[in-house]
Amino acid sequence: MSRAVWLGVCFCAAAAVGHVGTVIAAPHVIMHVAMARLSQPDRLINAFSFSPRVDAHARWVVRPSPDLAYASCVYDLSHGAILVSAAPSADHGYASISVFAANTDNIAVFDTFAQPQGVRFALALAGQAVPTGVPGVRATTARGIIPDRRLAPTAAAFAAADRARSADRCAPI
Amino acid sequence: MARWQFALVIAAGLAVGAGSAVVYMHQGMAPAGGGWMGSKVTGSVDADAWTRARVAVSGLLALNRGQALYFVRKTDEAGRPLRENCRYRVAGGALPGRWWSVTVYAPDNFLPRNDDGALSFDATRVHPDAAGQWQAVAASHPVPGAVWVSTRRAGQFDLTLRIYNPTPAAQADFTTIALPSVTRIACDGGQGA
Repeated sequence: MSRAVWLGVCFCAAAAVGHVGTVIAAPHVIMHVAMARLSQPDRLINAFSFSPRVDAHARWVVRPSPDLAYASCVYDLSHGAILVSAAPSADHGYASISVFAANTDNIAVFDTFAQPQGVRFALALAGQAVPTGVPGVRATTARGIIPDRRLAPTAAAFAAADRARSADRCAPI
Repeated sequence: MARWQFALVIAAGLAVGAGSAVVYMHQGMAPAGGGWMGSKVTGSVDADAWTRARVAVSGLLALNRGQALYFVRKTDEAGRPLRENCRYRVAGGALPGRWWSVTVYAPDNFLPRNDDGALSFDATRVHPDAAGQWQAVAASHPVPGAVWVSTRRAGQFDLTLRIYNPTPAAQADFTTIALPSVTRIACDGGQGA
C-alpha cells in the first residue's frame, strides 16, 4: 500500500472514530452539565429544586417553555433507591413527572390525568430494594434528572402550580 | 512515514469527524409535513445514538411521544427562513391533544432576549371560529386585535409546536395531524408575501 493511500485510510478511520465518538459522548456530556447546573452544582441531590417562571432570560436548559412551571430533581441512586411523589395542581391542569437517564433516555413518565390523585413511585437500580406497595421504576443509570412540568401559561396559573409543586418529594427511602 | 505525519493525519481525521458530528447534531429532525420537522423517538429508549445526540443539543429533557409531541419549523410556507424583520400568520385548527403551545426560539435554542411577555401562545389564548380555525401573528411588534407572539430580538428564529397528551393516532402517524401553516405577511423594507 502506498504511503498516500495508507495516510488516507488512517484519516478516514480517525474521522469515523471522531464522528461516532462525539455522537455517543455528546448526550452524556450535555446531561452531565445539565445535572451540575440543576443540582447547584452537586449541592442539591435527591431533592427537588423549583425554577422561577420561565422568561426570556431562562438559560438553565435549552428550549424552556414559558407556559410551564418547572421543578427538577437530580437523582443519585448509588447509595440506594429514592421515593418520588408529586401532588396534582389545584386546578387539575396538566402536571407530569418524568425520569431521564444519564444518556437522555426518558425511561418513565407519569401525569396527573392518568393519576389524578398524584404521582408516587420508587426509583431504583436493578437489585435495589423497593418498598412493598409502591410502584417501582428501574433506572438504567445511577444518575439522572426528574423534571416536574405543570401547565402554567399565566402568572395566576404559575402561582397555583408553584403552591402545588411545593409538596413534591424526591428523597432517599 | 514520520511519526509526526501519522499523528497529524490522525488528529485531522478526529477533528473532521468530530466537526461533522457537531454539524449533524445541530440539524433538524425528519420532515413531519407542512414544513414542520419532528421525531417519533425523541426521549424514547428506542432512540439511536444520532437521535439522542440531536435531542441533547436541541431538546434536552424532551418527553417521549406518549406524553408530548414536538414539532419545529424554521421556514414559512414558501420555504423561506423565518426572520425577525418579517410578520407571519400562524393558522390552524384543532390539534390532537389535551393542550398545545407554539413558542419562538432564537438560533441558540433559547427564548429570544426580549421582555415583551409574549414568547408563546397556547390553546387557551387563540379564538377558534365556528369551523374551529384559529390565527395568531408572529412579529416583532404587536398587531392590534391579533393573538401575538413576539419575535423581537429572535433573529432567524424557529417555531416549536408542543402537543401534550397526544391521541394514539397522532402518536402513530404524524401525517394525520393538521399542523398549522406559517405564512409570511410582509417584511420591513417592503418585502411582501
